[in-house]
Amino acid sequence: MLSVDVFNGLNEELESLALRNKARAIGIALHDLETGLRFSLHGDRWFHAASTIKVAVLLAVFRAADEDRYQLDDSLHVRNRFFSAADGSPFRLNQDRDATPELYANIGRTAKISSLAHAMICGSSNLATNLLLEFVGVEYARTVLREAHVDGVELRRGVEDHSAHEQGINNDATADGLLSLLSAIRGDFLTSQSKGEVIRILLEQRFNSMIPAGLPPHATVAHKTGEISTACHDIGIVYLPEREPYITAILTEFDPDTEGRRETVAAISEAIYRSLLRTEPTSNED
Amino acid sequence: MRTEFLRPIDGLRLSEEYRALLRPGENGAGANGTVHRLPRFFYEIGSWDEAHEIRLAPHFTLAELMLVDCREARLLLCQFPHYVPCAILLLARFLEDFRREVDAPVFIGANGGYRSPAHQIGGARSIHAWGTAANIYRIGDTFLSDGKSIGKYRTVAASLCPAVFVRPFGREEGQTSDHLHIDLGFATLTPRECSEAS
Repeated sequence: MLSVDVFNGLNEELESLALRNKARAIGIALHDLETGLRFSLHGDRWFHAASTIKVAVLLAVFRAADEDRYQLDDSLHVRNRFFSAADGSPFRLNQDRDATPELYANIGRTAKISSLAHAMICGSSNLATNLLLEFVGVEYARTVLREAHVDGVELRRGVEDHSAHEQGINNDATADGLLSLLSAIRGDFLTSQSKGEVIRILLEQRFNSMIPAGLPPHATVAHKTGEISTACHDIGIVYLPEREPYITAILTEFDPDTEGRRETVAAISEAIYRSLLRTEPTSNED
Repeated sequence: MRTEFLRPIDGLRLSEEYRALLRPGENGAGANGTVHRLPRFFYEIGSWDEAHEIRLAPHFTLAELMLVDCREARLLLCQFPHYVPCAILLLARFLEDFRREVDAPVFIGANGGYRSPAHQIGGARSIHAWGTAANIYRIGDTFLSDGKSIGKYRTVAASLCPAVFVRPFGREEGQTSDHLHIDLGFATLTPRECSEAS
């Protein structure tokens, strides 16, 4: 890892921003592929991963396809019945709480794995996530994370598994871990075809009020948000036409019902962007 | 009703790779240590178009009763011909009676009709490998996902024939909570033009 001196100002700015916006905690990780510089502020602090965990599921889904376990055009039975990681008890997802309610119209029928992957990320579909995770298996997904050398992402269960939550079985992540997850996606862990498809899916993200909101209009972001009552995250690869991309993970924790959470993440994104553009390239090391 | 496409074949005469998956005439282990002989005679289906055209009963096409997802063995999933046990005719007949009784369209779920013994769900232990079971997830506009709807239609199905088994609503083993499971037991059907001599 290269020196973080360049980012000293950023450190203070982000801490002050968090304080001003009443964030209980923040975890920021950054890897600039233009300069090779890395930055981490509380990057090893654990947060509830919320929907950012869906990126880990996405990696596993495409890895399994690369291993010829199935083809992405294959169909899966869509049903709303899952089993808790805590005690195996069945549970259902609430359509009204799902960001992609339209997928529920497919219950009883089938949907292509590629469509489910798209819905899981672009629309943050909980139903698609649990279907895919149940299909590939939690243990397999965890193995994929290990093989990809992703530390700091603990995938333990599907989403909306309240029995597991009550027993403290949650999906947790650090900013450094989620950064390494995105780095694995951008690296050579997946085949080039799968990598291209995964990034294309992340680029089609529908929820753009956090990292992209802090960037100029010509930036494009392959990213995934995650929000629960106390957590508000966005992780992504930021593409700017004038330079190599940078990868960032912005995790925040608030008291429930705190307002301005997404705006805080957007402000952090903006601060990172401004900091990077001031930074002179020091190395091409990746 | 179009059934003229139905071509019965003896599963024992299929190629080795198909026999390994369909296991015609082999013993399959049921629940509680029971043993049942897997179907030997199948209809050979040349394409999905054909499956959609074949009406086993006025309101049920063959395609509805053979739709599976990628948990099915790849050879059986991706390549035609497909093979379905001949007893699927009995199932379709029963479903037609059931539909008449409930007076509404009856929807069979994916993986809810015939699944081969190689299917990842249940395999040769599942009665779906006999082609005599159906999972109904919707009747008319009602999705069967609660005790009330499953209980209501369970009573109707069970009243039609004493040989019919319908799983009760519940979240335990042997119960269902998001569909109505109906089966006719481990019935097999030998078309009259087929011989059971080995």
